[in-house]
This record gives sequence, structure tokens and C-alpha cells, in this order.
Amino acid sequence: MLLDFCILSDLNIPISKRKKMSIPNKKLSRRKFLQAAAIAGGGAVLTACAPAATPAPAAPAKPAEAKPAAPAVAKAVELRIAWWGGQDRHDRTIKVIDMYMKKNPNVKIAYEFAGFADHLTKMTTQAAGNSLPDIMQQDYAWIAEWAGRGLIIPLDNLATSGVLNFKDVSEDFLKGGRIGGKLVAVNLGANSQCFSCDVDDFKKAGLELPKDNWTWEDFEKTAMTMREKAGKWGGSGISGEQIWKSLYLSLGEWAYADNGYEIGYKDDTPFVNHLKMLLRLQKANAIPNRAEDLATFDGKSVEQQPLAIGKAASDSHWSNQVVAVQKAAGDTRTIKMVPLPRPTGGKSSNYIKPSQFFSVTRDSKAPEEAAKFIDYFTNDIEANDVLFAERGVPIANKVREAMTPKLGKAQKEMFDYVARVSKDVQPIRPADPAGTADLVKNVYNPQVIDAVMFEKIKPEDAAALLRKETNALLAKNKK
Amino acid sequence: MAVIPAKTASAKLAAPAQKRNFRQSNLIGYIFIAPWLLAFFAFTLMPMLASLYFSFTDYSSLDSLDKARWVGLQNFERMFTTDTKYIKAVSATFFYVIFAIPLRLIFALGLAMLLNTGRKGMGLYRAAFYAPSIVGGSIAVAVMWRQVFGTEGLVNGFLAFFGVPARTWLGNPDTAIWTLIVLAVWQFGSPMLIFLAGLKQIPTEFYEAASIDGASGIRKFISITLPLLSPVIFFNLIMQMISGLMVFTQAFIITGGAPLDTTLFYALYIYRRAFENFQMGYASAMAWVLLLIIAFFAAIVFRSSSQWVYYETKEEG
Amino acid sequence: MKAQISSFILHPLFFTPKIMSLSFDLSTPKQKQELVKSFFYHLFVGGFCLVMVYPLLWLFSSSLKPTDEIWRTVMQLIPSSITFDNYVNGWAGFGNISFTTFYQNSLIYTVLATLITVFFSGMVAYGFSRVNFIGRKFWFACMITTLMLPVQVVIIPQYIMFSNLKWLNTLYPLLLPRFGGQAFFIFMIMQFVRGIPKELDEAAEIDGCGKVGIFFRIILPLIQPALVTCAIFSFYWTWEDFLTPLIYLNSPKLYTVSLALRSFADPSANTDWGAIFAMSALSLVPVFIIFIFFQRYLVQGISTTGLKG
Repeated sequence: MLLDFCILSDLNIPISKRKKMSIPNKKLSRRKFLQAAAIAGGGAVLTACAPAATPAPAAPAKPAEAKPAAPAVAKAVELRIAWWGGQDRHDRTIKVIDMYMKKNPNVKIAYEFAGFADHLTKMTTQAAGNSLPDIMQQDYAWIAEWAGRGLIIPLDNLATSGVLNFKDVSEDFLKGGRIGGKLVAVNLGANSQCFSCDVDDFKKAGLELPKDNWTWEDFEKTAMTMREKAGKWGGSGISGEQIWKSLYLSLGEWAYADNGYEIGYKDDTPFVNHLKMLLRLQKANAIPNRAEDLATFDGKSVEQQPLAIGKAASDSHWSNQVVAVQKAAGDTRTIKMVPLPRPTGGKSSNYIKPSQFFSVTRDSKAPEEAAKFIDYFTNDIEANDVLFAERGVPIANKVREAMTPKLGKAQKEMFDYVARVSKDVQPIRPADPAGTADLVKNVYNPQVIDAVMFEKIKPEDAAALLRKETNALLAKNKK
Repeated sequence: MAVIPAKTASAKLAAPAQKRNFRQSNLIGYIFIAPWLLAFFAFTLMPMLASLYFSFTDYSSLDSLDKARWVGLQNFERMFTTDTKYIKAVSATFFYVIFAIPLRLIFALGLAMLLNTGRKGMGLYRAAFYAPSIVGGSIAVAVMWRQVFGTEGLVNGFLAFFGVPARTWLGNPDTAIWTLIVLAVWQFGSPMLIFLAGLKQIPTEFYEAASIDGASGIRKFISITLPLLSPVIFFNLIMQMISGLMVFTQAFIITGGAPLDTTLFYALYIYRRAFENFQMGYASAMAWVLLLIIAFFAAIVFRSSSQWVYYETKEEG
Repeated sequence: MKAQISSFILHPLFFTPKIMSLSFDLSTPKQKQELVKSFFYHLFVGGFCLVMVYPLLWLFSSSLKPTDEIWRTVMQLIPSSITFDNYVNGWAGFGNISFTTFYQNSLIYTVLATLITVFFSGMVAYGFSRVNFIGRKFWFACMITTLMLPVQVVIIPQYIMFSNLKWLNTLYPLLLPRFGGQAFFIFMIMQFVRGIPKELDEAAEIDGCGKVGIFFRIILPLIQPALVTCAIFSFYWTWEDFLTPLIYLNSPKLYTVSLALRSFADPSANTDWGAIFAMSALSLVPVFIIFIFFQRYLVQGISTTGLKG
């Protein structure tokens, strides 16, 4: 028992120091909890009169805008930061945190990391418990929802006052982090969709590498030839929700209306045509069939994609993933990146998307200090030498320039690609409105793509269903 | 089955001494269950009641508790009327339970009997049979399972011997759920171990006596093993049924509900609503309906148990 | 003869001298028949074993492949070249926190949790199954009901509760609830206790033994197989549980092995699968050791229970 005690107390040491900060509004939240519990008790018994017992409807989330405090003498600061990723990202990020603490001895940063799904579970739980970390990694898919609920705070004041220095950053890279005109998230790396192509496979099939303005028609022909001549799939990863959005982006529209209340396009035809093309390609075995896609590739790690394992000549993914693809494919293969195909007559279907963000949360006691760290992450050359574009192409110009000579083969390809493609891109559209995670998981994948590809429903009907469901889900945002 | 009506007899003789005895036994009983009782009140009850409360609200997991708005039975209405996915989740779960649980229990009992011999090497065999269960829900087993049932996987290779054409078992809406059922059956280690422990508790003299009487193996199984093992069979049946209806991990890491929502199990759907769509109120409502469903079936099995479960000690009171 | 020899080769204990000396004694037809029976037994059970251990073989073999080979030869059981890099890379962990730390944390958590769970589950189970008290059925029903609510919807209220108690980042939320035993184990042990004839209790009572004495002296020794099974399960379930540590432990210095394993993979970026497989394989070792160690006591139960007749 003595041993037990030692072990327990040993584990407690690093914690006790940080206990204070892990539960910010302690008193408040306990009262809230007791209140809720009382309601739970009463509500269970007296369902009839329960509405009267519910708490008064809360005022709309209005987070206190982070105000830059007067510069004080270096005061001891404790920050918490949370991100998701793999081993490589953890190693690099931890190293940068250590460097920052060395430079700023008054700042102590406690970090927590997890895999992608676990990060979301953990952050959701902490949001409910009012104990979010000061800085959290955010995904483009959720920022609208998190900002809308006031969980992440606007950083505009800090940007104006120069704590967050964006003098060296193009607005194109920052735009993704603005919700309703307010900067709530700082881009950690620029990304764009791409098609990675295996150069040798194209040679083998007697094909030239696609041009930057190639169309989906070109893609279909290429894929068919690839099956005939090289015995490989022509491509993969072209049924996802990103492709649906890009299709309409190219036509000057978007999947969702700018106000986030309804579907963003008038004509279903381009999407129907895309679905029909997918069916033709599936039938010709020029892309992995849906069953195979779901079982082995879809949503699985980059290393397992058909291109990486040598079963496909090209693969659609985000530009920062090419590093992992090249690594898995091995050094002997040469991979080149081209933009996403466009519908015939359309403009570029690419846009620059933040790969992920850092946001400062509502629960942060020291938003300014948090912003300082984000600034270091964004602008410091040494820090970025360690991070090494693992999260995508750095947004600060001088960081990119400093890094360019040190890049490896795949990274150079990625930098070049993002530089090339950003000359002909569409402006980024507002972040996905609340409810779209629901739409993609529950409607787009199973009821539209699965249903069409397993031939349970006609493409026309699927597109109509998607329209109906999207409108129904987004209508809730009107309130 | 020997039912000794001892208690009813003694109840008639209610004497003061016995009353005191009963009071004392009350005290002792509560002392023994005190640890559970304390933990229940301290850690379990409040969260359960809270989730019950959520089920009548539109609580979002991203908000703090005071933002939860009472919506009455709206969540339950949505479940049974507009949400077409809910019915899918219910039927997928029932399909899974109906096939996976009986098969798993039969395998577990069969193997436990097979391994319950005095032969050498049982330890290694047991370890081998338990092996699939301990790789359980890891990322590694998800990867492996996808490969085994993949187009070029082991299963297709094996079936090719019999001229069965290759297919993608996991990605096909007709077969995906079966691969999860096979996985569940293959991980029969836990019930097997419980059966094994149960078999160890049956006194060997019973079998010896039966052998002297010239009883066959089947006879011994029916009249000794089954009744004496029935408390453990009952336990395994109840627990497997409960865990089967709450099946989550395998579908979560392997199929994610796809294809066409054929493997979207009830608990997976709850998770999706709670943590991916942030609809904790709705998820809680679904969870409480699941609790009622499970309780209903558990009650049936508990009721039936007096007919077929044999206890050395008769239940009292 | 061929059949018999292969029976011994198949036999896992082929190399033990004891068996070697016994094995070639084929003097009587009965022994011969016994051997043939044994052969078919091992052929069947052993063959079945292969199907069962396939994932382990696959896992270990994958963990020895070079990273760029893993996905291209994914179904190949024998690696074309063997490397231990994956183990080295994996063990290094994240930042400056290696798997040494994760193993320490996991062992502390798992061993403590298992000891607490098994003892208190046994105690509560005895109360429920052997002592007659008012409200027994009600509390039992409550206990079983707690098993029926999916954990997904109680995580958040539970988190808020522990967070208000200021117990985040400590072992309290992980260990304290275990002091009540766990419903699954309590119910399981109850079923075993009910299989023990009550005459034993009564005899002990006549000898002047109280309920507490009966529990420690009669019941605990007799339910050893059940306790051993509980210990094996509890160890494994705690070892592989990542959700509780994920929610309550923030500092990576407190992460458990199961949680660390899940921090390797990122579907959208670079993932070192070799390291994942290597560490997954290693993480099974403690579970196996516990299993091999404890399952011996499953046999012993027989002699103890045998005494009662």
C-alpha cells in the first residue's frame, strides 16, 4: 500500500502545478452542474412541469474579444496546447514548444496530443467542461461551428496590435481562418487539392502528363487508357465531398450558399455528369470499385492509397499528403503533381485551403501569450526549420524562402505545386456551415455516393436527394 | 432439480431471534455491497441522470450545460418518425446480435469443453484461442481484418480452392456485416475463459459416478455439464447479449458504418451524433431507448432463468 | 508410426524430456488407441490454433518489415528482409517521452485497477449472492442497469463531475470508481458463488464462523477460477482501455500504452505504420504474460473444488 501511495503521488507531481489552469471557471461550472443535476432529478419525475424548470435561454454566444493587455514585466504564464497528428508531427511540435520555452523562460507550455478522432472526442469533452486548452488545433470543417458557439475567440485586435504579425503573409492564406469577417483561426500550412501522378506509369501507357487545365473528360480518357495499356487504375479518391465542392467552385458556385442556409448551386447536371462518369469508370475497372474503395482505401491512411502501393497511376489528395505518398511509394518512383481536373468550360477548380489552424479558445486566461506562441509558430525561421512544412506550405513569405533550399524531393514538388497553382485559383469560400459534418457522414457518403455506386439509385435521383437533404439540414442555421 | 423449500419453512417460524438475525444480516449485506453502493452514488448515478435529462433537451456537446433547452419528447419523435437512419441502425444491430452472439457462445462452449482435458499443452492452446480476443480493438486488427477480407485477401484465396469467385467482402453491402459477425465469433476468448472457469468448478466425482453407471458422453453433457454450468451459461448469455446490442469498436475502427449504412450499429450511431455531429441531446435519447430495449430482453432472459438455471443455493426473498 | 511421430511434432511440449520418455511406449492396444485419439485431438485443436494465432503472426511479421514494404506486401507473412528499426523508432515515442514512460504508467494503472477491481468485485458479489438483506434485488437490478447505458452519453457529465472535483490529470478518475468493483465481474462472481453448496456456509457457521469469516475462508478460496478469470479480463480491459485515459489524462507524461498507440496514426498525413505494428505487437506481451501466468490457476481450481465432496 505504501508503494501504491508513492506511485500515485509521483504521478501527481507534474499535475498539481497545473491543476489551477486546467479548470478555469470552477465555481461557475460547479453551480451550473448542480443546477443541471437538480433539473435532471426534477425533470425525471415531473416531466409535465419540466419546461418551467429549464434554465433561461442563454444569451447568444458573444465571446469577449481578446484585448491586447498593456505590456507588463515578464510574468509567469502557463499555457496549454492541443493538436492531433502522427508521430512525426508530435516530435516536431514538441521540439518547437521546448525551443519557445527556452526563449521565453516565463512561459510554461503544457501540451497534449492525440490521433485525429481522439482529438475531436477530447476537445468536445473539454468544451462541455469549460476546460479547453489555450491553443487548439482546428480543422476547416469545424471552425464555423466552433466559432459560432463562441468556443474560439477572434484574434483581430491581436493582429492589429502586432502581437500576431501577418505583415509577411498574403491575405489568400489567412482568409480561410475568417468567420463572418473575424479572424478566429490561424492557418498552419497552405494546401490545395491535387492529382499526384506516377511519371513512369504515364510513360508506360504512352500518355503525357496532364496539363494544368485538364478537364474531367481528359481524366476519363486517361484513366481508360491507363487500364488498357498499363493495367492499372487511372486514379482514385474522386468521389469524396471535396470533389463535389470543387466541381461547383470551378463553375463559379459552391456546394453551400455563402449565408450557410441552403445549397449553393442551381443546376444538378454537373454533379450528375460526374456521378455518371464515376459509374462508367467503375464499370471499366479504371478506378477502384466502390466496395474496394470502402474496404481498403477510403478514409484510410495516405500510405495505403492505390498510388502509394502501385495499383493506380494517379491519386487525388491534398498537396501536403504527397510527402507521405512519396515516402510510402519508395525513392525509385517519381511523382508529379497536377491540379484537379475541371468540368469542360469551367475555370480552375482549385483553391488554397488551410491544412489546419491554431485557434485560441474561450477558456484561455492569457490569449495574448497564446497568440505570441502562434506568431512564433508562423514567423520564426528556426521553428519552421524544425516543423519543416509537415503541416503544409508555411504561410509567411520569408519562412518559405528560407526553407526552399533545404527541401527534399517530395517537399520541393509540393512547394512548387502550391506556388504554381496559386496563380490560377478560385477564392476560398466561407468555411463549411454548421451541420455539414452531419451531411457528409450521414447523407453524402452513404446515401449519395454508396447508393449510386452500388446502383441502388439513379445519379439524377441521388443529386436531387442531396439537394433536398442539404437544404433541410442547413435551414436549421437560419433559426 | 433439487428445490429445497427451506426458506418458506423457516419463514413460518418467525421468532424474535430470527428477527434479530434478519436485522443483522441486513447490516452485513449492506456492509458487503457498500463499496459498490458508494461508487454508484458517487460516480455513476449523477452522469446517468444527467444523460437522462439531456435526452429531453437539445443539448449540444460543444456547449456548457446551461445552454441545454428543454424540448420535451422531440428527440424521441425524431427517432421514430423522421430519422430513417435510426431504423437502419436498429435493424443492423439486431441482425448482428442474432447471428454473432449464439455462434460465439457455441464456439466458446465447444472449445472450452475441448480444452478442459488433462492433456498436456492446454496452457498454450488456451493462449492461442484467447489470442484473437486480446488483439481486440486495436488499429492493427482493423488493418489486418480489412486485408484478410480484401479483394486479394486470405479469404478469397481460400475460397478460390472451391471455385468461389473473389469479391470484396468488407466493402460490399451484402457481406460487410458478415465480416464483422465472423470477427465477433473469432474473438470468442472471453466467454470461453468464463466457461472454462465454470467447468473447473464442476466436481469430477459427478462424472466418475456417471461413468460407473455407464453414462455416455452426451448423457453426461446433458445431465451433468449443462445443469451445473447453467449459472455460467446464463451469465454469458446475458452479458454477451448486452455487449452485443452495444457493439461499437469493431464497426468504428473497421467499417465506420459503411457501406450504405449496413454496419451502422446503434452505439456507433450514438457516437456519431454525440461527438461528430455534436447532438448530445439526441444521442442521449437514443441511448436511453437502447437501455430500455436491452432491459426488455434482459428481463425476459432473467425471467426464464428460473426454468433452466440451476443454483446450488436457492434464491431467497 | 508416421502418424504417431507427427503427433508428437505437433505437440507443443514435444521437447520436454518427460513426454519423450513416455511417448514410445506402445505396448498395449489400448495405449495405441489412446495415442491415435491424442493425435487427432492435437491435429484438430492445433490446426484450429493456427487460424486463431494468424493475426499475431501477421502483426509480428509486419512489424519486422521495412516501412516502404509494409503496404506493398501486406498479405505476405514472411518478410523479404528483416529489420528492427520499427521497434527502435516506435519505442522512441513522441518528443522526449518514450514507451518506457508509457509502459510504467500502464503497468501502474492496470495493476492497481485490477487488484482493486477483483477484490471489491468479489466482496460485493458475496454480499449479493450469500447475504439476505432488504433491497437486494433492487440494488442488483440497478447494478445491471448501469451496464446497459452506452458509455458515449455519460462521458461528458462524468468529465464535468471529475473536472469539478479537480481530479483531471490524476489517477483518481481512473481508479476510484474501481473501488466499487465492476458490475460485469460482480455478476460473474455471483454466478460462481451460487454454484457453491450452501451446506458449506452452514457447516462453517456451526463452527462459529461469521459471514466475514465465511467469505475469506470458504468462498474466496472456492471461487479462485472465477477470480483468476476476472483478473485476466480486468488486466486486459484496463490495459487496452484508451478512452478513460484519453479523457482524464492531459499530460503526455501520463499517457498509457494504449493511448500512445493511438497517437501514432493520422489518416491525413505521414504515419509510421512499421512503428505502429511494432508497438502494437509489444503491447500484447504483458497481456500474454498475465494470461499464461494466471491461467495455470484455472487448473488448480479443480483440486480445491474437489475437496468439497
